[in-house]
Amino acid sequence: MTTLIASSRDYGALVKEDRVHSDIYTDAQIFDDEMERIFHRTWLFALHESEIPRHGDFKLLQLGRFPVIATRDADGDIQLLINRCRHRGAQVCEAMRGHAKRFQCWYHGWTYDSKGDLVGVTGAEAYDENFDPKDHGLTLVPRVDSYRGFVFASFNPEVTDLSAYLGATLKYIDIMVDASPIGELEVKPGVVTRTRYRGNWKQVGMDGYHPHYVHMSVFKIFSQRESTTGSAVGALHLEDPFDDRSSSRTRGFPHGHSCLDFREQRRPHADEYIEELERSEDGQRYVADMIDAHGEEHARELIAWHGDPHLGLFPNVQLIHDHVRVVIPRSPGETEVLMYPVFLKGVGDTINEKRLRAHEAFYGPAAAGSPDDAEIFERTQRGLIADQSPWVLLARGRHRERRDEDGSLVACISDEVTQRVQMQEWKRLMSDR
Amino acid sequence: MAKQIVNAPREAVTDGLLDIADQQRLERFLTFEAALMDEHQYDAWMALWEGEDICYWVPCNDDDQDPATGIAIIYDDRRQLEERMMRLKDKTAHAFRPRSRMIRSVNGVVPVRVGDGELEVASSFVLGEIRVGVQNIWLGKCLYRLRDTGEDFRILSKKVMLLNNDEAMPNLTFLV
Repeated sequence: MTTLIASSRDYGALVKEDRVHSDIYTDAQIFDDEMERIFHRTWLFALHESEIPRHGDFKLLQLGRFPVIATRDADGDIQLLINRCRHRGAQVCEAMRGHAKRFQCWYHGWTYDSKGDLVGVTGAEAYDENFDPKDHGLTLVPRVDSYRGFVFASFNPEVTDLSAYLGATLKYIDIMVDASPIGELEVKPGVVTRTRYRGNWKQVGMDGYHPHYVHMSVFKIFSQRESTTGSAVGALHLEDPFDDRSSSRTRGFPHGHSCLDFREQRRPHADEYIEELERSEDGQRYVADMIDAHGEEHARELIAWHGDPHLGLFPNVQLIHDHVRVVIPRSPGETEVLMYPVFLKGVGDTINEKRLRAHEAFYGPAAAGSPDDAEIFERTQRGLIADQSPWVLLARGRHRERRDEDGSLVACISDEVTQRVQMQEWKRLMSDR
Repeated sequence: MAKQIVNAPREAVTDGLLDIADQQRLERFLTFEAALMDEHQYDAWMALWEGEDICYWVPCNDDDQDPATGIAIIYDDRRQLEERMMRLKDKTAHAFRPRSRMIRSVNGVVPVRVGDGELEVASSFVLGEIRVGVQNIWLGKCLYRLRDTGEDFRILSKKVMLLNNDEAMPNLTFLV
């Protein structure tokens, strides 16, 4: 059992039901506690298994403060190895991704295989019989589990089971995976947009309130188009999904997960999207294969949902539209966002290419959507420094949220349920003894 | 990234594919294009593009990435580029307000293929950008397809290969 260093901060006093203190976004000591108490204690998204498909494939990850090598070992299993030589501590892998069955530390030449086992010690005769290489393999991340190709990791050996942690969000993950008629996704190695902003990592949340204001310029452009069918933006059609009178909902789940639930709002529009798909051969085949795989009724709703669960899994990943978004906190006021486009397996190339074009039109450092989000996060960080009136309000819609049968709190699309559940999980983990 | 020049026909880097007057005319054109971008003269910059079949491409991750399977930072056809212009001009596109102040230096202008009134031209740039108190330095190589009108040039396609296209980058809220 790892022990937590006691924190001098009273996190209960900083996180109320309807508001949070701005120190949680700006304070360096709180950030250190977040790394230890959240990122090194709970489940983190690591990678998608398709990123390292073959034995010897590897990818570097940043999990909390730790550099980690994800490998595919000789048995076809995924290993997460802490990137630190067990001799003197140098990183044994520097390439961001690639193919290597051995990792050699170039300080003194120790070598490890893709399971992390120490398979080579230079000048081994200088160690006595008490030295057992088995004791000096690369350190494994103690808990690794996956759901439908999404691999999660925890540095906490006693963390709750992944399926219990994800709970009712599993069926939302299915929305993304089952957009493939064979139920398989591909995240291509090295195909990712990496952005950074000078703001706190917790700004990347699920927020159904901001689009009309942050993304006003995009809505203006859309209003001049005849159709936005197939677009990456929430509007798959011209009906506004961010209107509180719409059937869109915001959901907050246990463990801080959250969702902008557009299922009911999109379901009636299946015909429009199917009609557009059926203009191409690949689209016709996609519709037919989806019906074969899922039956007509479920296929129609899956097509209407567009593979977009719009789901945030606390603390570091979101599944939004056609991409997987990973959040990497660097400091209280500096965050990296990695956006991996998701490709559907078992579909024609033009289906994926169209999804890719729609994705990159909205997401990325020069795209229509992401820059305005980053800009607002930076404005927020500059404003939050002024803590004369320190409270940040997250009260919107509290009076109209209700508990759904799946355990989630549900309310209108612009309500701040998502922020509230995120912060309650934050408080729970930060207050842990 | 310099491979367009490395792989160019030998003549392109010895005598050059253009005579001195045309080379100077080309360099003035690219300097003018850079000035329009630095000064946020979007309509005038847009007027440099010709035809419906244009492509403005800033690849991500890898200069040679196949756009069918790889992601792009920008991959605009004419309609998308026109929408980008609307956003660049829109006061509610917050990331573009206030606008970046920029100075860029264009150099290494080497036509690598010339024929039928069209040119393929490699160049490089250094761009200093300052916005809300933060200065960023951007570097990149460009590969243009241009049409020579005899007087000046028109852009048919432009590929911009940023030095940092596989790194975490801040907002790119201006023209490159």
